[in-house]
Amino acid sequence: MFTSTQPKTAANTRISGSWPILALGFAAVMALASCTGGGAEVQPLPDTNSGSGSVPNYSGPPPATEDVQRFKINVWDNLVPENRCGSCHIEGGQSPMFVRKDDINLAYAEANTVVNLNSPSESRMVQKVAGGHNCWLSSDQACADIILGYISDWAGGALGGQGKTIQLVAPPIKDPGASKNFPATSSDFASTMYPLLTQNCSRCHSEDSATPQSPYFASADVDTAYLAAQSKINLDNPTDSRFVVRLGTEFHNCWSDCAANAQTMEAAIVQFASGIPLTQIDPNLVTSKALLLTDGILANTGGRHESNVIAKWEFKTGQGTTAFDTSGVNPAIDLTLSGDVTWVGGWGIQIKDGRAQGTTAASKKLYDLITATGEYSIEAWVAPANVTQEGPARIVSYSGSTTARNFTLGQTLYNYDFLNRSSNTDANGEPAMSTPDADEVLQAALQHVVVNYDPVNGRSIYVNGQLINTVDPAPGGNLSDWDDTFAFVLGNEVSGDRLWQGTIRLVAIHNHPLTPQQINDNYKVGVGEKFLLLFNVSDHVNVPDAYVVFEVSQYDSYSYLFNKPFFIILNGAAPPEGTPIKGMRIGINGREAPVGQAYANLDVTLSSASYNPATGQPLSDLGTIIALEKGPAGDEFFLTFDQLGASTYTRTEPPLPPAPPPTDLGPFPDVGIKTFEEINATMAAITGVSPNNPNVMATFDTVKQALPTIEDINTFVSAQQMAITQLSIEYCNALVEDVPAREALFGTAFDFNETDMGVAFTPARRDMILDPLLARILNAVPGPTPVNLATQPDFNATKAELSSLIDKLTVCGASCPADRTKTVVKAACAAALGNAAMLLQ
Amino acid sequence: MSALTLGMLLLAGAALAGPREQARRIHDRIAGVPPDQATLTAMETDITNGNPVAAAMRAIENPAFYNVTLKNWITPWTNEEQTVFAPLNDYTATVIGIIRDSVDFREILSGDILYVGNASLGLPPYAMNNNAHYEALETQHIDLKANLVRVTQSSVTGLPASATAGVLTTRAAAKAFFSGGTNRAMFRFTFINHLCTDLEPLKDTTRPPDRIRQDVSRSPGGDSRIFLNNCVGCHAGMDPMAQAFAYYEYQYDMANDPEGDNGQLVYNDVGMMDPATGTRVQAKYHINSSNFKPGYVTPDDHWDNYWRKGPNQRLGWSSTLPGSGDGAKTLGEELANSDAFAQCQVTKVFQAMCLRPPQDANDRAEVATLVNNFKTNGYDLKQIFAQSAVYCMGD
Repeated sequence: MFTSTQPKTAANTRISGSWPILALGFAAVMALASCTGGGAEVQPLPDTNSGSGSVPNYSGPPPATEDVQRFKINVWDNLVPENRCGSCHIEGGQSPMFVRKDDINLAYAEANTVVNLNSPSESRMVQKVAGGHNCWLSSDQACADIILGYISDWAGGALGGQGKTIQLVAPPIKDPGASKNFPATSSDFASTMYPLLTQNCSRCHSEDSATPQSPYFASADVDTAYLAAQSKINLDNPTDSRFVVRLGTEFHNCWSDCAANAQTMEAAIVQFASGIPLTQIDPNLVTSKALLLTDGILANTGGRHESNVIAKWEFKTGQGTTAFDTSGVNPAIDLTLSGDVTWVGGWGIQIKDGRAQGTTAASKKLYDLITATGEYSIEAWVAPANVTQEGPARIVSYSGSTTARNFTLGQTLYNYDFLNRSSNTDANGEPAMSTPDADEVLQAALQHVVVNYDPVNGRSIYVNGQLINTVDPAPGGNLSDWDDTFAFVLGNEVSGDRLWQGTIRLVAIHNHPLTPQQINDNYKVGVGEKFLLLFNVSDHVNVPDAYVVFEVSQYDSYSYLFNKPFFIILNGAAPPEGTPIKGMRIGINGREAPVGQAYANLDVTLSSASYNPATGQPLSDLGTIIALEKGPAGDEFFLTFDQLGASTYTRTEPPLPPAPPPTDLGPFPDVGIKTFEEINATMAAITGVSPNNPNVMATFDTVKQALPTIEDINTFVSAQQMAITQLSIEYCNALVEDVPAREALFGTAFDFNETDMGVAFTPARRDMILDPLLARILNAVPGPTPVNLATQPDFNATKAELSSLIDKLTVCGASCPADRTKTVVKAACAAALGNAAMLLQ
Repeated sequence: MSALTLGMLLLAGAALAGPREQARRIHDRIAGVPPDQATLTAMETDITNGNPVAAAMRAIENPAFYNVTLKNWITPWTNEEQTVFAPLNDYTATVIGIIRDSVDFREILSGDILYVGNASLGLPPYAMNNNAHYEALETQHIDLKANLVRVTQSSVTGLPASATAGVLTTRAAAKAFFSGGTNRAMFRFTFINHLCTDLEPLKDTTRPPDRIRQDVSRSPGGDSRIFLNNCVGCHAGMDPMAQAFAYYEYQYDMANDPEGDNGQLVYNDVGMMDPATGTRVQAKYHINSSNFKPGYVTPDDHWDNYWRKGPNQRLGWSSTLPGSGDGAKTLGEELANSDAFAQCQVTKVFQAMCLRPPQDANDRAEVATLVNNFKTNGYDLKQIFAQSAVYCMGD
């Protein structure tokens, strides 16, 4: 028995009971949006949920088959409202009448003429809307994605998780052409196009404008403007430049007459391009045929598990300030980008200092649909900008402030943090669950992160398909304390003070947890748009329809990923047995890419033993990234080979540039200072005291890090002299207190116990102390006419200095303390030892 | 030091030096301590007789040359912080022994060679899992010249002889450069210490990146320009060479011994298998594999020197070697037979003896002569110390 169904909305998806359809007027959205706080102005969005958006009751014949029923649930119910397709494509209206209300079976038959269930993305209905046909959002791509989702659901794609087979189709055959490439410097751009752009576009397309709009090709910084403008310029065919098309046929903010403005812009581009020489392909290269990325076959195999998705952002729009929720579940939580948030190539947004936030009204969809099931998954493809941010820095959050949330996926250094408010946590979702510090799970690279919550198992975190082994510090509970006034936000807290920096390429919220298998499947599907590029090499292997095929995607805003090359013959013929393929390189815009040639060492021989008619012969498991130059619409790729079949290219390395001439350093001082252990060894050698003396060892261990460690005399500082003094006092103390040691140096005649200074330090006795010390330190020969090294201090002068020190220390005469003689000798010894004569080398 | 004395001294230093002054400076620079009068006189005589190298060789006989000068010259090579205050260890002792015995200095990167203290000293024996043996040698100020004994690593550490690679496979080097991480530290610090260049000046982005491991993000923080302009410049050449260390690991108890003081070098010999990789390759070579799944997955310890082409051929690789091989020993030979290795060792010695880097054309010509002497006289570094000290003995 047929029962009426409702389209996917927050109000009825997977929720039993009667819920009112949310229908907020435009003013209400504005009012709530303005309450979300945190600075940036909230942009008004088209209200897609109000007015005549309700689903009419269907009262026609019941669906004849299960497939008709699936069509009705997944497509018809969602598109029949008048603010979708229901005001035109109905009975008596515009053909095809795929949402006719009188007979669902007839609508089904009509729909079948505009869909391709084997490849939903190739459906006429999807392509028509993507091309600009009556999209109900400001982004045609977003509408197309939503319809694609409906058709995929009908086709069962969302339930299967099965990869589909991609049909390889021969691309157009063309030789790699000579092409113009952007000069490295912005000087020509600055003198041709830049004045026009700054004059007419800088009120929006500049970072410092009141309403900044990326890309900033009219930036005050000409280099920034130049980089941003490149993807909008077609050097080889200026008429096709995005700048010209945007003015001439899309009438985008022309400053006077659009046609004339487009002509002016084209003239500036022609002037810029005419100054750039063509890059000619080296005629000796062995090349394949050439392809643009758009000549490739879309290789996304689908297979993502999304049967419980309630919100999804794929960031395909690439411009503007809205990231659309393309889950197809109403109300859509379209996110407003504010602050320094830029779109990245290959789908995604990069958050540098801003956020992407939904309205509280739309965000309530999450509250409604998740509290109904009591469980959920947050799934995201993210590339953290660094491993130093903390807070936790908010990646994905549904929260009200820094202390109140429903859920948050965040980053603290190398960890992902998952906060979920439940009956067993506080209002901030704490205690948080984090990946273990030691594992350093979070890396500054593109990662697939899934956090699951259910009341039985609590929280769990999966990164790149793998469950992270960590225990939830709080048991699972219910979500009855969730707050429906919070807002959904990416890249920051709603209060704007927990910034996360990085790139987000997909976020999906599911209101049932993904299973480990589903998580792994979604991880393997990857993110972004992938193409198969078929490079024709028939000319070189003498076999028709012979191709080297790469899986190619835009890796980020600055590069392409070329991955898993294989050789295949499309007509089913056997491979040319024994044909060598060596030294394969990727060419871009008329020349080999200078960086990233991971197949330069390739050495493969084709053979039927390694060849599968369906999948060809793999050439390499490796992938590599190649720098983006003109952008996906303009970059022309080809392959070159050092050897392919009988064709060979003899590669020569560019000549080694001459070594830079040596430069003179210095001049440096001719002398240096002794370092710490040299000082220790020198003092030991001069005094004869063993460095193993316990007191000496202890002092040396204490002061050694304060002694010089390098010989450069310019590094000498007073702290080092203090350490030297301490060590020399210790050595002299040990020397004087050790009878055999002191007798070995000073002889036996000197009386260390004499208390009358006049007796103790007569000139003759001073000689007993000072002569042997200085002889060792200065390598001098004492005597009436001392023999002196010319490079050392003068023996007599040094001795006079030390003698004068003794004079000062012996003024107590005969009334000195008992140990005065020893003390004076120690002092004289230390002054002689802790001295430049010892230190310099 | 008193200003007066320093002034007197610097004035004296400016004076013309005779053979006795030259002898004193040679001794200071080589041994770091002043000579006794008899030695000084003998050295003076050598110089007067036109044989200053013989004078320098007398200074080299002073034990302080080994215990102080060489020890402090080598110690910073043995740790990541490059501190001279690290304790004596098997790396330092082995280089000291090689210099003392005039062993071909290239052996430091490839030989099955180790120096330990004489068994008669009664010290704690050499151990795989601690440094007590060498610390006892140091704290007791034992004369290394007299008491270091040459042995083979394979007989002491249990490494197969084919897996030994001079100081690279000593316990100290393993503790410093195989501990944690990805073993690239061993490669980088070997370049810093023995080819006298960090990797930054060697950046060559045009080498094929086909051996860069999966752990290197191709889009750090979402910006692949960083990889294409910087990371690839080092990794393209480094990763295929650092693969030579794929079977080595420094194993220690991270929880109870975070510094690894009781850790030890381990090596996956033939027939052994790492459970994480399923091969002899250590798990650390496959870590963070999700950073770039299509990156290189290390299957073995085969290394290739991509820097034999491009600007880094300036390092002067030996034309008699193939530029590729398996394991650390052959990589050590590749590095030690480069011109850069000889140039580096000689320049370091020059700096130690002259207290300055080669500063002008005369110094550079002298270094070139010394490099040639080093190469043609069996890579005997002791001779280079003597010849450098003579060059800088003063006029």
